[in-house]
Amino acid sequence: MGRTSPTYRQALEERLKRWDEFGRLLTTPEERAAFSALCRGARRYAAQATYVGSPDLLESLLLSVLLDLAARLPADAPPARPVPR
Amino acid sequence: MDGAAPTPDGWLLDITESDDGRSVVLWAKDRRTKVVRRTAVEYRPPFLVTGARPHLAALERHLARDPAVARVERRVARPSLYDRRARTVLSVTPERNPARRSLARAVDAFGGFDRYALFDVDLTPPHLYHLEHDLYPFAPVTGRGANLTATEPAATIDYATPPLTVARLRVTIAGERRGRIAPPDGRIGTVRLEGITFEGPEEEILRALVDELARSDPDVLLTEGGDAFDLPWLYRRAAALGLGPAAFQLGRERVAFGPSRPARTFESYGRLYHRSAAYPVPGRFHIDRENSFLYDDAEIAGLVDAARLSRLSLTTVVRQSPGTCFTAMEMAHARALDAHVPWKKNRPERFRDGDHLVAADRGGVIFLPPVGVFDRLDEFDFASLYPAIMVRKNLSAETLDCRCCPTSPIRAPGLGYRSCTERVGLIPRTLAPLLARRLAYKEAMRRPGVPPAEAAQWKRRVKMLKWILVTAFGYQGYRNARFGRIECHEAINAYARKLLADLIPAAEEEGYRVLHGIVDSLWLRPIDPDRPTDPAGFARRMSARFDLPLGYEGRYRWIVFLPATTHGLGVPNRYYGLYEHGDFKLRGIGGRRHDTPTLVRRFEHEVLDLFRGARDADGVRALLPRALARADLFVERVRSGGWPVDELLVAHRIGQAPEAFVTFTDSVAALRQLAEAGVARGAGEVVRFAVLDRRSRSFRARVRAAELLAGDERYDAEAYVEMLARDAETLLAPLGVDRDALLDRWGAAPRPEREEYRSPERTDQTVLTGP
Repeated sequence: MGRTSPTYRQALEERLKRWDEFGRLLTTPEERAAFSALCRGARRYAAQATYVGSPDLLESLLLSVLLDLAARLPADAPPARPVPR
Repeated sequence: MDGAAPTPDGWLLDITESDDGRSVVLWAKDRRTKVVRRTAVEYRPPFLVTGARPHLAALERHLARDPAVARVERRVARPSLYDRRARTVLSVTPERNPARRSLARAVDAFGGFDRYALFDVDLTPPHLYHLEHDLYPFAPVTGRGANLTATEPAATIDYATPPLTVARLRVTIAGERRGRIAPPDGRIGTVRLEGITFEGPEEEILRALVDELARSDPDVLLTEGGDAFDLPWLYRRAAALGLGPAAFQLGRERVAFGPSRPARTFESYGRLYHRSAAYPVPGRFHIDRENSFLYDDAEIAGLVDAARLSRLSLTTVVRQSPGTCFTAMEMAHARALDAHVPWKKNRPERFRDGDHLVAADRGGVIFLPPVGVFDRLDEFDFASLYPAIMVRKNLSAETLDCRCCPTSPIRAPGLGYRSCTERVGLIPRTLAPLLARRLAYKEAMRRPGVPPAEAAQWKRRVKMLKWILVTAFGYQGYRNARFGRIECHEAINAYARKLLADLIPAAEEEGYRVLHGIVDSLWLRPIDPDRPTDPAGFARRMSARFDLPLGYEGRYRWIVFLPATTHGLGVPNRYYGLYEHGDFKLRGIGGRRHDTPTLVRRFEHEVLDLFRGARDADGVRALLPRALARADLFVERVRSGGWPVDELLVAHRIGQAPEAFVTFTDSVAALRQLAEAGVARGAGEVVRFAVLDRRSRSFRARVRAAELLAGDERYDAEAYVEMLARDAETLLAPLGVDRDALLDRWGAAPRPEREEYRSPERTDQTVLTGP
């Protein structure tokens, strides 16, 4: 396991290493904090992503990030307003 | 059968190969006199060759002219587990036993490496003798020599352990302390053998030792480092003094001086290991605690059990991994099915595409726990989950996707691999009795009124079996495993993953939330803290529902899940907690690591001791100031310069050949010191040292290797203050402690910035709270 093909966790870390380059060019502490929270979100659901075993790394990664954000929205948040044209 | 076994005359201790290459030597201990008798029995086992008829005929003609071959015969057999019908095989008996392997290689080469399949080649004659004669190490026996018969089967659970006499042996070089490097011309100053110390002129010591061994006649020599030091040194000095094998005999028969098995370095799970050479003491067993993976957990009671079940000599069991024992157990079961042991596994992995690999090649479910301090947590573990799955789902190389059951309802979730419903596979056959055994041992251990010494013995057997059961799974995926198959490995994981997924809603139905889970363990917390849960009932109901044994490990007063230093999220296997029944469970913290200096272990002990008083999570949090005060005291004492240097030893396992290191590290400095003192250390070995001046560029000033330690060295206090800070952070991070703040508190220089850019993930390492 993890030799012939990398495990999800290995592939994820590989990808996040690339993303790290992105983070290097962020200029404000707020953006950097948000970026690191995003990376944490990507890692948080590694167990679930492994369980799915999707051949598409990005699918699982983005799903993790989105869920991490969605889970932190208050349950009684007002529905999103339509974007004004 | 009237069920009453005949009273044994004694015990078969061991079978060894004899020097003449044509027989094996049986070592049996008499029940009344306790004398160990040596009997040589002529025995030259054949190996089997299969192949197409014309090829077999060609080989038969070829071997008939070979002087290394005693006999070639045609037989009818079903050598492979995959064989559905009997077929003609050649049975080849070598002239001399040691030639088995070279002869087999010649046969393989004669067939162009693909025309013949060979069986039973690399089983040793003693091992085959056991299998063929229904014998096993430590069997109670009647009769003698070739008529030796076991009075009960190896599978007997409640057996009487043979009375083995154990003698501790310890050699010291004149004028030297143990553990220091002995000079090449060093003489033996003292030898201790189980309470008796021999001193005086060297030759007298050696002769006295031989006499005492003959008099007390111990079965087991127990040493600490005997393979690397005591035995080679004894033989070396005996040779230097002109004592030959006739005069200097540590075993029960004379033997040439020299190792019977060379030293080797090997890799396992990404780590390099080193095994010292083994020196023979024929007729006795030598257990080197430092060269034995299993001894520390299993001790003699466990090792005897493993030897009985695997039919491997205790000498082998001691030095080999549990995987070797498991493979040998499989061999015994294969032979019971009249199958033979393939020499090379001629079964390549089936071709599968990349997507299938991603889907199939996954491990068990491993959650990331929330970082923080928690209480009211119940822990549940499946007992031997993977072996139990293998047994329940009949997972074995020859029963997976078999041709006889295309519509089998037993299918690996998500992968579809079918299990045979017609016959029981070799792996389940091997594992089922082991699982039953482990349960029986556990029950015996907990029987009311069982004397502590007996309970301890059961416990060691349980531990031994645990290791063997753990390997059973891993060996399915190991390319050299004789009866393994990667698809089994994948199927087991698939069943286990599905199980954990099914348990999440099942636990919620019972009022539990899953806080953490690793493969076969679950940490659950009541959803409503005021509604009492029924953990024992939960375990029972889940065991019944999933037909796999879930056990209730206990409730935690509190447990701390620790973060990774890199990204601050929880780490699956790094936590410490206190059960309500008063035991700690520690995983991944300093004290569990082999490289941690005693200083750090002591600090951890103090903190844990302090936290022992906490009733719940709040209690732990309230104790933080006192934990930090303890840390302050440690720092103060370390800085006073008076901490004993031998408690400051850091250990490092050398991960590569010493000359391959490119940066100058503490380990490199220690290795150079050792090299200068004439001691070579290779990859896989451990180097231990105290840090004297971590900034020094000189390998002599930077550290001091443990073997060269005088005891009065001045150590680098700040290096150890940093280690304390690192460890305190590891333990206390969830309580808001961080390393830099600690260093600041202690007025230490801040850690040097390794790189200009610090990953943003590291700047906000704060306490994360659980859900």
